[in-house]
Amino acid sequence: MDINTSKILITDDSILARKQLKDIILTMGNPTFIEAVDGADCVEKYKEYSPDIIFLDIVMPKKDGNTAIREIMDINPNALIIICSSIGTKSQLKSALESGATEFIQKPISKEQVIETITKVIKGR
Amino acid sequence: MYTQFFGNYLLSHSYVTQDQLFSAMQREADARMRLGTLAINSGFMTAQEVDEVIIAQTHESKKFGEIAVECGYLTEEQVMDLLREQSPDFLLLGQVLVDDGIITNSDLENIIADYRSENEILDFDITSDNHEIIRRLIENLFNQDSTMTIESKSYFELLFNDFVRFVGEDFTPLPADKIKAFPVDKCIRQEIQGNYQIRSFISMDEETAIAFASRYVGDTFTEYDEYVQASLEDFLNLHNGLFIVNISNDSSIELTITAPELVEDPILDFDNPVYHFQVLYSFGIVHFLIELV
Repeated sequence: MDINTSKILITDDSILARKQLKDIILTMGNPTFIEAVDGADCVEKYKEYSPDIIFLDIVMPKKDGNTAIREIMDINPNALIIICSSIGTKSQLKSALESGATEFIQKPISKEQVIETITKVIKGR
Repeated sequence: MYTQFFGNYLLSHSYVTQDQLFSAMQREADARMRLGTLAINSGFMTAQEVDEVIIAQTHESKKFGEIAVECGYLTEEQVMDLLREQSPDFLLLGQVLVDDGIITNSDLENIIADYRSENEILDFDITSDNHEIIRRLIENLFNQDSTMTIESKSYFELLFNDFVRFVGEDFTPLPADKIKAFPVDKCIRQEIQGNYQIRSFISMDEETAIAFASRYVGDTFTEYDEYVQASLEDFLNLHNGLFIVNISNDSSIELTITAPELVEDPILDFDNPVYHFQVLYSFGIVHFLIELV
């Protein structure tokens, strides 16, 4: 997968978190960004755009991240989902990975960690 | 590390007013530590001796250390030790207040001794960060409130560290209190739910919020916009997230948090007593409230 031709869906209810993530990814290349503001919006945008990588927060209004992961997994069991959450407890991590998430990043996000994680999931494809 | 509580100590013992402290904090970053202040702190010289050397410096163009050695107040070895020594941050704040004429070197000498003995801070650990010391300082901040739960103490200890880590260490906690109502400004709330429930609020005025967000994000904001509001939400969310990770690791209790939301009411009324923790930064006051439900 080439980052410049990829589509990345960023889901976070915080406009700041979405911007920070986009700014970091832009240092790696120039993908097409799609943004979603909650779990329900994420699932809708997933259906509409079929993005290559999904960034997903856990705690969001309307539909939480874990529910969104399961619904996306029902559509495509091979979807690449990277969780970005401030609640990195072992049980949260476990439930996100069990639901089908590929990677888990604990907030506050660091540039290095985001780049490393994207590089890793892209290599896997 | 303990500049924060030193400022609070000065306030609570009425050595300074909030305005004087605020003004000193704004200039602290540009101030340079002087040998005389270090000599008082280390106990090598008394405040009176330091004042004598400072007066002598106005007559002859010599360095402080040279005159102090000539007068027999310091040995050359002590001068070298002082120059090598890493000074505790709070000293600089004390020195700025001396420069401002708010306290004298003699006051500073006494204040340092009292501050250390009251908080049981020993020389050797003054620059290290120490869990026990922070915990004790926080208890003092809340006037040794015996009804305060372990969770609340852990919560405020982490909050203290998160302010240091994500916003900057140049703050002073103002005297903390318990309140039943609070007039909010730009205010965000978030709930922690599970075995116990905590409602948390962060509030500050618009100007402070803009400066807070600029610090937190590492960007320059000039007006109160959605990014500034999101920064406040993000800080609260990050802090509460880290808190429940700690609780999960330390006591295997699993808690969850709700999405942060803007408080629209101009006044918050509480059914339960609420801890009000406020910190003074050089750019304004940040209010933090927690309600234990």
